Amino acid sequence: MEGYKKIIKKLLFFNEPKKMERFVLKETSSKENRTEDSAENNAEKDKQYRARRRKEPGGIRKIDRGTDESSKKEKEIQKEDENKRKDSEVSVYLSHNLTSMKRLYNIPMNGDVVIREFDIILKDRAVGAFIIFFDGMTDRKVINNNILQPLMMLSSLEIKKAEEDIAEYIKKQILPHNQMKEFTSYRKIMDEVNFGGCAIFVDGIAKAFTGDVKGWEHRGVERPNTELVIRGPQEGFTETIRTNTALIRKRLKDEDLICQNFEIGERSNTPCSMMYIKDIANESLVEEVAKRLKSLKVDYLSDSGELEQFIEDSSFLPAPQIIATERPDRVATALTEGRVAVIMHGSPFVLIMPITAEDMVKSPEDNYVRFPYGNLFRLIRYFGIALSLLLPGLYIAITNYHQEMIPTDLLFSIEAAREMVPFPSVIEILIMEIAFELIREAGIRIPGPIGPTLGIIGALILGQAAVAANIVSPVLIIIVAVTGIGSFAAPNFSLAFSFRILRFAFIIIGAMAGFLGITTGLFIYGMWLVSAKSFGVPFLVPFGPKTANAFTDSILRAPIWKQERRPDYLNPKDDRRQAPISRGWMDNGSKGEDEDEQ
Amino acid sequence: MSSKIIFGKWEGTVLLINLICTQIILGFPRVMTEMAGTAAWITIIYVSVIMLVAFWLISKLYSRFEGMDIIDISQIAGGGILRVITGLVMTAYIMYIISIVLREFAEDMKVIILPESPISFVTLFFVAGMIVGAYLGLEAIVRLGAIFIPLITIGFLFITIGVSPYYDMANLFPVLGAGPEKIFGEGFFRISIFSAASILFFIAPYIRTNRNFKIVGYASILISSCLFLWSVLSYIMVFPYTVSIENFLPIYQMARLINYGRFFQRVESVFVFIWAATALLYLSGAFYFIIHIFRKTFKLEYEKPLIAPFAILIFNISLLPPNLATAIQLEEEYFRKYIWIVTIVFPIIVLSIANISQKRKKGERKGEKAVE
Repeated sequence: MEGYKKIIKKLLFFNEPKKMERFVLKETSSKENRTEDSAENNAEKDKQYRARRRKEPGGIRKIDRGTDESSKKEKEIQKEDENKRKDSEVSVYLSHNLTSMKRLYNIPMNGDVVIREFDIILKDRAVGAFIIFFDGMTDRKVINNNILQPLMMLSSLEIKKAEEDIAEYIKKQILPHNQMKEFTSYRKIMDEVNFGGCAIFVDGIAKAFTGDVKGWEHRGVERPNTELVIRGPQEGFTETIRTNTALIRKRLKDEDLICQNFEIGERSNTPCSMMYIKDIANESLVEEVAKRLKSLKVDYLSDSGELEQFIEDSSFLPAPQIIATERPDRVATALTEGRVAVIMHGSPFVLIMPITAEDMVKSPEDNYVRFPYGNLFRLIRYFGIALSLLLPGLYIAITNYHQEMIPTDLLFSIEAAREMVPFPSVIEILIMEIAFELIREAGIRIPGPIGPTLGIIGALILGQAAVAANIVSPVLIIIVAVTGIGSFAAPNFSLAFSFRILRFAFIIIGAMAGFLGITTGLFIYGMWLVSAKSFGVPFLVPFGPKTANAFTDSILRAPIWKQERRPDYLNPKDDRRQAPISRGWMDNGSKGEDEDEQ
Repeated sequence: MSSKIIFGKWEGTVLLINLICTQIILGFPRVMTEMAGTAAWITIIYVSVIMLVAFWLISKLYSRFEGMDIIDISQIAGGGILRVITGLVMTAYIMYIISIVLREFAEDMKVIILPESPISFVTLFFVAGMIVGAYLGLEAIVRLGAIFIPLITIGFLFITIGVSPYYDMANLFPVLGAGPEKIFGEGFFRISIFSAASILFFIAPYIRTNRNFKIVGYASILISSCLFLWSVLSYIMVFPYTVSIENFLPIYQMARLINYGRFFQRVESVFVFIWAATALLYLSGAFYFIIHIFRKTFKLEYEKPLIAPFAILIFNISLLPPNLATAIQLEEEYFRKYIWIVTIVFPIIVLSIANISQKRKKGERKGEKAVE
């Protein structure tokens, strides 16, 4: 009964709201970030400024500027201090090292850093030591069995060498782990620890040992999600950099395959590897990629998609200038052609550069199936891409300006279907295209189990209800559906997006001036592409400009034994990839490049 | 920046073919038939031979000036004054033809597909292409030309061969058409059909060597003559003389005849693609050279600020003729009859003067050495 009374009271009478302090994200004031001393100093400075403000008109601004500047300076000083601390050398005293590490890692604020102190027994004395690592990023078993156990238990064995050099003794005799390094700078030690390593500090030694004990949870090698093939390897990259480099290296067992490491991101320190084959890839290309990677000044990179945008030539070109692939075989092929690959830790997409327009239409499967089938795939793909870009625009142009092109019977059926539709065809197609894009976008964002429902709703509304309600004509549904299918035929995800955007431009320009508009659009698009470059390589090569040796694998591909040379536009150090007669069993003593056929 | 651009013989040849042959899809076959009747094709052979001889002479005279354009050469021949005169003459010549051709393309496009649109609206599409072309530079124009022109040529051949069922050899008779006087006398002035070859003088720095200069020159003249010859020959074979002088868009009229089965009956709309692509490439190429020549003549540092004013100027000039007939008249009556003086004779004179002054300078140097 009491409960009901309370509810009625609450509903009928005014209740004073409880006083709660709500969280407001305030601007970082310089005062709050400073130590007490500096706060006092600042108060004094403020007093001085206020005094000055009374004297000078318009002094407020000056004061603000003054405090801002001083806060900036303070921050800079703090940062410098921190950097100095990081750059400083490891001390001989264990306690000093322990304090430094605790301060650098903000312990105990930082919960997942583990510091384990222990003693190493050397003959008759105990030497203090500690190990530091991130919980969750390291392999506990490896740390226990290969590092802590030997250090704590095996160290009591008899010392067989000179006793004085403890560091040497520890490294060579009582640390059986296979990847041990020594560092004297805190910064390098921290880099190792941050990337899943552990660091061991020993009293009396002015350096630390770091061991590679990475053991974080990660996804295994699975089938790639975006570039599926029927014939060909079925494994894709993962989010772990070393797994990815290994996937490439196991295909290219070549000592000239270089894997140059970089760290990008001041905060994330994301490890990246640039891979190329030393005696094939053009040096200036390798230098350019390295230069661009090194020059990046960002705090955090989460995916190679971001990295791609940082290093691509033009951000506004309606086509990607770097290929992102999930397939190790594709990267390996690109490397053997003289291209450069960039692998970023945390991304299953590896970047390949430089590329040309036609590279984006190729699928790795083209080369895995026999020559006639591969060419059929390519022709169909080109056709699909052309449809996805131009079909709606052409439909609008033809129905509005070039009706005579449509055979009479077809014209009648189109007209009959459109008779009841109240919209002009351009509005009609824009509605449908936007609806299609909406379904596509929603289909990606939607939680998995609801996905099929969306498909059914989309198909029902768009396919049947819209036609039944005379909002769109059935012919248009066919056009939009074919366009959609065409856009999914583009093997490059990024390219398909650029075509989706341009399709709308072609619809509008086609509605404005028919074929003249579409030709003007194609001309401007062509001009744009032809003047673009990807890492110094013209985008429409080998057609504009024309280059040699590139037509064996261009729009169509020649039989595999005929693809004798690497693309000329990559200027590789060695342009031949097959012997003049690659099929040795065909060689019956004849000479010359074209003798393979005989 | 411009000196860094280098392109090959193929790109150079294709650019020149585009600039020379664009008139084919305008009124060229009709104009030739009007002049020489059924013997128009003989005129083309005759004119082509003269042009080849003229080019031989030009290449001989040019051999001392490897990698230079006509502006540099006129600087050598007559100093700053001659440079400015040459530059202005060339700029004026290209501006005149580009404005007329722009008007003709726009008018023809209006007739074919956009009868209800105002002419200025249609012109704007071409001007937009022109501006983009000039903005992205010669490199982009020649590269896109290298891709588009072969396709356009294939389209052109498809149209002219596609009408083969209508070929009638009897249309070629009488062989001498309007008579030898018309073919060889009046026909001589038709050397102007190759006037756009003068652009070769401006692409010389990009194709570098004398050898390339000759190859590009001869190749473009020969291929253009073949295309001219084939366009006129196929046109005469399809339409009897009396009809052929009436068609104001000869190649379009030919495309309208194409008829393969019940389904492909009216494919002439595809011709609009060929038409517009040729026009855009021609206009952007020619427009780029106006700006390039103007900049070089007055030794300006940048080209891009000139694009907008020149585009507006050309757009306005193109709208000056009251109608299409006047525009065609301005091209045929005045331009095609006399422009050879500007594009062929004038460069020969400049080259000769430059040669003489070069020789004199050498002679002086030798004399000085002998005195020493």
